[in-house]
Amino acid sequence: MKKRRMFIRMITASLMRRRSRMVVALLSIAIGATILSGLVSIYYDVPRQLGAEFRNYGANMILTGTDGRFTGADVEAGKGQIPASELVGAAPYRYENVRIRENPVVAAGTDPEGAKAASPYWLIDDGEWLKSSGELLLGAKVADSFRLKVGERIEVSFTPESEKLKAADNEAVNDNVKEFTVVGILKTGGTEEEYAYMTYGDLEELTGVKDVFDAAELSVSAASDKLKDYAARINASAPGVHASLVKRVTASETTVLSKLQALVLLVTIVVLALTMICVATTMTAVVAERRKEIGLRKAIGASDGSIIKEFMGESMLLGLLGGVIGSVLGYVFAQQVSVRVFSSSISFRPLLVPITIIVSIVVTGLSSLMPIKSATEVDPALVLKGE
Amino acid sequence: MFGRMIRGTLFRQWKKMLMIAFTIALGASLASAMLSVMLDVGDKVNQELKTYGANIRVLPKSSSVLSGLYEMEGESSGAYLKEDELGKIKTIFWTFNIVDYAPFINVNAHLDSGEDVKVVGSWFNHHMTLPTGEELNAGVESMRSWWELESGVWLDEQQEGDGSKGAMIGTELARKYGLQVGSRLHVTGKTADDTFTVKGIFDAGGDEDSQIYVQLNTAQALDGLDGKVDSIDVSALTTPDNELAERAAKDPKSLTVAQYELWYCTAYASSICWQIQQAITDCVASPVRQVADSEGEILSKTELLMILITILSLIGAALGICNLVTASVMERSQEIGLMKAIGAYNGSISLLVLTEIFITAVIGGVAGFFAGFGFAQIIGHSVFGSAISMRPMVIPIVAVAVFTVTLIGCIPAIRMLLRLRPTEVLHGK
Amino acid sequence: MSLLELKNVYKIYGELHALDDVSLKVEKGEWVSIMGPSGSGKSTMMNIIGCMDKPTKGEVLLDGVDISKESSKSLTTIRRDKIGLIFQQFHLVNYLTAVENVMLAQYYHSIPDEKEALEALERVGLAGRAKHLPSQLSGGEQQRVCVARALINYPEIILADEPTGNLDEANEEIVVDLFHKLHDDGTTLIVVTHDPEVAEVAQRRLVLRNGKIAKEVVNEHFTGKIRFND
Repeated sequence: MKKRRMFIRMITASLMRRRSRMVVALLSIAIGATILSGLVSIYYDVPRQLGAEFRNYGANMILTGTDGRFTGADVEAGKGQIPASELVGAAPYRYENVRIRENPVVAAGTDPEGAKAASPYWLIDDGEWLKSSGELLLGAKVADSFRLKVGERIEVSFTPESEKLKAADNEAVNDNVKEFTVVGILKTGGTEEEYAYMTYGDLEELTGVKDVFDAAELSVSAASDKLKDYAARINASAPGVHASLVKRVTASETTVLSKLQALVLLVTIVVLALTMICVATTMTAVVAERRKEIGLRKAIGASDGSIIKEFMGESMLLGLLGGVIGSVLGYVFAQQVSVRVFSSSISFRPLLVPITIIVSIVVTGLSSLMPIKSATEVDPALVLKGE
Repeated sequence: MFGRMIRGTLFRQWKKMLMIAFTIALGASLASAMLSVMLDVGDKVNQELKTYGANIRVLPKSSSVLSGLYEMEGESSGAYLKEDELGKIKTIFWTFNIVDYAPFINVNAHLDSGEDVKVVGSWFNHHMTLPTGEELNAGVESMRSWWELESGVWLDEQQEGDGSKGAMIGTELARKYGLQVGSRLHVTGKTADDTFTVKGIFDAGGDEDSQIYVQLNTAQALDGLDGKVDSIDVSALTTPDNELAERAAKDPKSLTVAQYELWYCTAYASSICWQIQQAITDCVASPVRQVADSEGEILSKTELLMILITILSLIGAALGICNLVTASVMERSQEIGLMKAIGAYNGSISLLVLTEIFITAVIGGVAGFFAGFGFAQIIGHSVFGSAISMRPMVIPIVAVAVFTVTLIGCIPAIRMLLRLRPTEVLHGK
Repeated sequence: MSLLELKNVYKIYGELHALDDVSLKVEKGEWVSIMGPSGSGKSTMMNIIGCMDKPTKGEVLLDGVDISKESSKSLTTIRRDKIGLIFQQFHLVNYLTAVENVMLAQYYHSIPDEKEALEALERVGLAGRAKHLPSQLSGGEQQRVCVARALINYPEIILADEPTGNLDEANEEIVVDLFHKLHDDGTTLIVVTHDPEVAEVAQRRLVLRNGKIAKEVVNEHFTGKIRFND
């Protein structure tokens, strides 16, 4: 028992009284451990974070009616198959031919919040996003062709099916008419610029027909295999709708995301390898510096085994301390990166703490073992006489 | 004598110096690898993002306003771009940033069964030799990389030659009419009819699945639209938009001359669009926001991520070097105490130590730079399948960093050495 | 039987005969000093007696055991059990206090015992400095800690290599007085030195030259308690 106390007393004395040297070694181990735990957290979090960024490309799953149009219940049934945490946005759409100033225009009725989440790349060139009833978000091309500006009021008319027959018979037609305010101009560079967007409720009111949809766009944060799985489940469980993947988005995402992940992985490996070697050389230097002391201990009767035990005990304690500091700093670093780059917090991985600590103990241990061993092989007489 | 002392340390203590050089080399290689990758990652990821297809779409001026609306009614707006102007896209200021482009002509034709079908004429792998001598293969094969070939092959323009009757069709169309690779398909347009041989069937996961893709001139012939093009998709490497680019996109004329120069000479999507508009008569070029905007987001995020990782690894490398330099200089206290005892000035001791360390640092730094460049190439080749380009600016950055870090590493050690009293060192500590 | 006996010991480094046919007997309780100019083989002899080196040829009997045949591992054990070393440069572990440095020898030998270590320090007159680090002690005090460390395991032989080489006169006197005390307590002392004043107080002094014992002088005026050569 006493022997162990002396062992501990020696190690702590070495750590405490040789403070400046030990701080140097500890610093290098802690930096190594920080890089380890920081980069590994980032590596594990990057797919999730970048995956979320790729949702900027908009919907990657489209629901269409299996038999013409479908109802709100069908949309809900389909959405229900996807975990809420992975569903970034969902926007049901209904398209109707309406008229503005007697010219035909396609009106799209949707849930404004859902559309915003599902198509983050839509740019409101002027004005603001569609919010409530009575508002109209015009595609840039529609706005251009009618020379409409934000704030203008305009009548939108719709001819119900029943009235169309009358028109064919050249009778007077009773159109449904509703007045809207143009709140924004939409720019996307795609076909969306040719539509006029309004809330779903307004379109129901205008047409007089309730609860029908043409399509629903879903933006799901999941890898393509998982997406296929969700699509299959929706097709099996929601008979009213057919789910298909937007290949252009999903296929490209898989390609690019896997490359980015490979990039982070490779960078992590290179940085880690080089950092570990750096830690190892520092430990080698720290031990090599104490050859004389090792010689002295041998001269007063220490066996090689007990010298290795003491010095290893010391460097492993350093490794432990460095590992603990490193896991904390690494988490802080990963968190900073995550907040700065992706403006979201990183998930804490408890498993990473013991791994970081063990790796840093092993690396410091191994890198000191070599120089300690070679120091014990030295003739104590030479060390004591030399220099 | 000074030189002799330096030589003495470098050669007789070469093991220690080798270790310092090795650590400096490690740090320098880490720094140069990360800097090279960081500086090139934008271009590389940009290339990768081209899989999302075109980020700029060029339409005829009049059609860009109304074609969409009229096309809903199945009519043609009558405004077209000129096919013979296509080459001009590769003459603009940012020509090297245009990696790919393809023209499209849409023809509403009908099959023998009387059903309507959309025939699209385009380039598949159109070969061009530019006036600059650059060779380029452009077309849908590279611009629709997400198309999955279900059977058959991509139409090879060079093999088929102009005016061939090969076609690629979407899966839905193939399923609907039971078409297979090698099947023949008779299509009647407004002014002519033609028979195509199916070369490949693709799954695009969109509207294209029920369309027929043929060569540009054969599609033009169906409707008698020779030399006319509906739209051009352009895939360009762009710089993520900033506030200036957004202002310029609304109205380039609102900029001051200096701002205009800056904007024009930066590869913003909006400035490339502007230059295309000037090159091609009566056209409107606009960024496809789904692609352009997302590209910008992902690019800037990836770059920022790499910058932060680079900073972390630079700090790590710097501390590693600092540590070792400090430790190894302190180790020599006895030798330096002796030098003091025999009358060396503080200045000459510092000079000696610094010179030794710096010679070591230069050797280590140079070795590390090349090693780091090698690491960067490994990353480039295994991730992107292409080399990371060598940026000259990495050299001074790494050189300055290595020197600064080594110097900082020397400071505490030298301060300690200068405080040493020779007697203390020589008569047992 | 003598405590230590060297029989025709040679130590040869290439061409150089560091020890050339040296024979020597040291009895228990004797105080012997070894003198000689630099390069005469003093240190080689000290290393061989201190079990830190082995002769090229010849026998070294310590307590009847021929240590020239032992492995380096058992040499460590013998050194630990039978020999206490004192060095010119003191060689204290600079981050351990005086008492801890003494305990270090106990630790490698058997079990550290702080009380005993403190007693040893008291014997060398350093009871009040036990908690000081080597850097806080004067040269003489450091050497006295070394003496205490050498004593702590009751070695058969205390082997001192230039113990006063780094000390001023006052401290030299203190250390020599300590040697007298040790001798009076019955400890065998072998002191390697080239300071005639330190050498002359021993019972017997050997002068080495070119690896051979050139002269052996018995101290007629030895003042210690134990005398053999009367």
